[in-house]
This record gives sequence, structure tokens and C-alpha cells, in this order.
Amino acid sequence: MEFVIEKKKIDKWLDDLKKDFKVIDIRGKALPAKQYFLPPKQKTFVFNKKTKKLSCPEYKKEFLVFGLGLADLEAMTQLDEIMEKPYSDFFYWQKRNKSLIIGLVDESIEVAPGGDVILEKITDQQYRALILTDKGKAIIKDEFFDKKDKPSIKNYPQPDNPFKRMLLDSELLAEAVKWSLNHKIWDKLGEQCLGCGICTYVCPLCHCFSIEDQVSLDNKECSRCRQWDACTLPEFSKVAGGHNFHKTIKQRYYNWFYHKFVRAYHEYGKSQCVACGRCRENCPAGIKISEVLKEIVDDYKKHLSAI
Amino acid sequence: MVPKVAIYDFTDCEGCEVKLVSIREKLLILEKRIDIVNWRLGQEDNKPGPFDLTIIEGTPITQHEVDLLKKLRQDSKVLIALGACATLGGIPAILDKKERAKWYKKIYGEEYKPRGIDALPLSAYVKVDFLIHGCPIDENELIRIFQELLAGKTPAYRGYSVCFECKQANNPCRIINGQPCLGPITQGGCGSICIKGGSPCYGCFGLRQEANVKGLVEVLQGLTDKKEIERYFTMFLSRAFDK
Ligand code: SF4
Ligand code: SF4
Ligand code: SF4
Ligand code: SF4
Ligand code: SF4
Repeated sequence: MEFVIEKKKIDKWLDDLKKDFKVIDIRGKALPAKQYFLPPKQKTFVFNKKTKKLSCPEYKKEFLVFGLGLADLEAMTQLDEIMEKPYSDFFYWQKRNKSLIIGLVDESIEVAPGGDVILEKITDQQYRALILTDKGKAIIKDEFFDKKDKPSIKNYPQPDNPFKRMLLDSELLAEAVKWSLNHKIWDKLGEQCLGCGICTYVCPLCHCFSIEDQVSLDNKECSRCRQWDACTLPEFSKVAGGHNFHKTIKQRYYNWFYHKFVRAYHEYGKSQCVACGRCRENCPAGIKISEVLKEIVDDYKKHLSAI
Repeated sequence: MVPKVAIYDFTDCEGCEVKLVSIREKLLILEKRIDIVNWRLGQEDNKPGPFDLTIIEGTPITQHEVDLLKKLRQDSKVLIALGACATLGGIPAILDKKERAKWYKKIYGEEYKPRGIDALPLSAYVKVDFLIHGCPIDENELIRIFQELLAGKTPAYRGYSVCFECKQANNPCRIINGQPCLGPITQGGCGSICIKGGSPCYGCFGLRQEANVKGLVEVLQGLTDKKEIERYFTMFLSRAFDK
């Protein structure tokens, strides 16, 4: 049995869901879905100086994030893993456990990459609901979805993406990026990169944050905030005493790659990149991560065959 | 001990002091924790130094103002510059010197001896302990800095660019769309207010630490001509451009 929704009914369905959830439609947003679970700036806890009590903001209302594409869904599954291992991130899960994730995918799906429900395009006017969790099942209502035994299903092939193919061999990427430390490409990128951090902010998988403590103006409360950081920024690798592990943009930009492709491979067995293309689309310096990777991998292969 | 605070202003539009007043009830909370002993714009009863903290808005453009600035430095434990005029030279420093000479002659005649001094940031004359940038300053940043000072911390500059706040505001990126913007090299804190309103960032929050000015100029060269780029930088960051 399939649950099929007419394309034109989707918005009505979302309106109906607003009765029970806070509905966030992420289509057209520059920042990816991670922003709702790991917000750009967040108070984690507050200490009241008078009562000597700690309190932590609570999130009561369930919310629903709608409109994730295939790469975004895959990224959320991966981010959940990152936020679970080796330690569970309390503040992330506090929000994540209150949420539902709904994908909207215009290509035919081979393996569902994550989320609670995915609407998969089956004809030009229709989507079918792939129900992946019980929470997801509960929101598929007869009012909006038709039950069909054998709906007609057209094939919408995923466009060929060489970048995505490159990511399949994450071991090779890890070796190549590690090997590339002294590659000349980092000199060029060190001059080109503006160190604005945009690539990290828009990446659905980057998850670094820094901590800032505040004492309120009236001196009654202290609070601890965390906010997104980015490894291309100058404060990122600064430690007490002003020492900085990554003094130049070149070193910092390399770290972005090193974490995504080398460290992530060793820690989680895969690259922290899903080829969503956001970093390229949003980089004011026009840096294309896929081309950087390709150059490194090609030269690494040449290096291997020359040995 | 309640710190003794003075607020002075030199040549400027007083917009940043208006911003200080516009924190309203927060200013009343602040007043309980500091003793404002001298504030020309805010009160009638003003006392001379020494001060624990002196906040200076505007930039000196007469010898008298320069002397007063030096005296205030001597009289103050901590000296903070408030707003882009004080931190960067700001609007008074945009002035084109050749044009000025021409207009002097035209308006005041050949005999006139100019008394004005070129507008420079306060740091050109004295040591400044912290710069609260912005044209005008941002209220939340102002409060943050007061909070840090009152908690006994050394206030920190924002380590990120305007782009961080611009992305949070979901603004379409100007540079990506072929329009110049100085956001990537400018310190954040303003909430990307200009981009939100449809203007470029001209850098009034000052250069972010370790900003890649050269890299940005190269990007801008792909979008517009040299003269136009210079015009962008002359608003607040001409000193960064000359380097
Ligand atoms: S978005 Fe581009 S310019 Fe900005 S930090 Fe990333 S690579 Fe560098
Ligand atoms: S393509 Fe860029 S933004 Fe997308 S996952 Fe990979 S690194 Fe992140
Ligand atoms: S690539 Fe950089 S910003 Fe992204 S998660 Fe890794 S260290 Fe953090
Ligand atoms: S519009 Fe300007 S501030 Fe905003 S992201 Fe683009 S370069 Fe940065
Ligand atoms: S966007 Fe730029 S020019 Fe506008 S207030 Fe912010 S720092 Fe100043």
C-alpha cells in the first residue's frame, strides 16, 4: 500500500500540520537544517547568583522541519551520529528529540537516507510518502493522502554528480588530503580564501562551536552561550596565552579539509561531506571544493604511480 | 567600589550617544552599577577627573580637542572609543583634501588660514584600550561590552565577519550576485543591518582581525573598477586600503 499526495495539496497538508507543530519550511534558506538543532547562537544554561540554581531552557513544543533534499537528509543522519558519538550532545538532542524531519525529493530514491517521512516524486503531479518512523506515520492523514495499491511510478534519475562519486571512496580522499599538506594548492587557496567562514556556516555537517560566558548587566545571572565557530576564523584554534595552532588562513583552510576528509574518516569511517554544493554556491571567493579535491586526488594518484 | 565614568564627545553627529540613551531601561540598570560623573549630553552636574573609565565619541579636529584628548588619557584608567568616528575617523575622515582646499578658497577667500586638523581615529593621538565600532554602534554590542567590563573581563572583539550574521538573516549574498560588499573583512556585531536594508557593507565595524583585504580586493576587481573599489574603502576603511 502506498500513500500518495497530489503536489498541489502539499502546502495544505503543511498548513494542517501547523495545528500540532511549529512547521519550518527550509526551502530557499541559506543555512541548512542543522540550525534548528544546533542554533547559530544558543544559551545552554543560566546560573542565578542569588538562588545558586542552574536552569536550562526547555523546549516543549514539537516542531517539524520540512523540505530537505536527498543530500540534506543524508547529512542529518550523519549529524545525528556525530552528535551521539563519542558523547551525546544534550542540547542538540533536547531539540532533535522534539522534532520531525520531512524530506521533499524530486528524484527517485534508491535508499532512503533519513528523516521521518520523505515525499518522493512519482509523477509530475504526485509524490508518495516513504514512512520511516512511527512519528512519521502519525502525520500521514487520509485527508491529504490517497491509499493506492499500485500507483503509477515514473523514474526520475538522480543527475550524475562526479563530486558525489568521488566521495564514495572516502579512504582514498583521506589518504590524498593527508598527503597534500605540502601541495602548492594550499598556498593559492590561502591567498584566495577570505576566511569569512561562510562555507562552514552553510555546510550541513560542520558542527563546531565556541563558548561564551556572560554576566547579566544587573549582575544577577551568569549564562553560558555557545555559538557557531568556523575553522577558517582566526580565533578558532587560539588557546589560553594567545597561542594559535593555525596562524595563517592557509593552515586554517587546510584544517577544514583535514577534518572533513581525514579526521572524519578515522573517527566515523566516512567523509563529513555529502556533496550538497552549498559551500561552493555561497563562497564569495568562488572557491569550488569539488575542484580542489579533484586536483588533490589526481596528483595523489600520480604520486602513487610514480613510486 | 562603583567605577567613576566620564562620557565625552568630539566632532561627530552624536548618533552613538543617542544609541547609548536608546538602551533605555538598561541604561537605568547600568546607572546603578556605575557613577557617571561627567556627561555633557546627558546631565548638567559634571565633575573633573580622574576617571576609572572614559568613553569618547567623535574625533578631534582642533588643537584644543587634541589637547583635551591627551588630558583625558592621563586622567583615565581605561579609555574606550565609541563609534566609528572615534575608532576609525569615520564620516569626518572621508573628506577629500584637494576638494577642501578648493572650497576654503572659494568660501573664505585666499587669505583664510585653516584651523582644522584632519580627522583621525583617537588611536592616532593616544593609547585606546578598546574600540566599540559602528556607525552607529549596536546597542546589543554596547551592552555586551559593558557586561564584560563590569564582570572584570577584558572585552573581546568579535572574531567573525559580518557574513556570519548576514547568513543568519538569510540575505542573498551581494558578492555572489555581482555587487561589491566589504562584509567578509569586517568585524561582525551589527547584525548585517545594511545588507538587510539593501545596501552594501562599508565596514563601519572595523576590520576583523587577520582580515584578508588583498583577497577581497581581488574578488571586487572581478565585479567593478578600481575607482569604485576605492570609493567603498574610503567610507571607513581607507587606512586598510592604503596598506
Ligand atoms: S566561504 Fe570561501 S572565502 Fe569564505 S572561508 Fe569559505 S572558502 Fe574561504
Ligand atoms: S558540499 Fe560543501 S557544504 Fe555540502 S556537505 Fe560538502 S563541504 Fe559541506
Ligand atoms: S571542518 Fe572545521 S568547522 Fe567544520 S566541523 Fe570540522 S573543524 Fe569544525
Ligand atoms: S552580502 Fe556581504 S556580508 Fe553578506 S554574506 Fe555576502 S559578502 Fe558577506
Ligand atoms: S553592514 Fe557593514 S557598514 Fe553596515 S553596520 Fe554592519 S559593519 Fe557597518
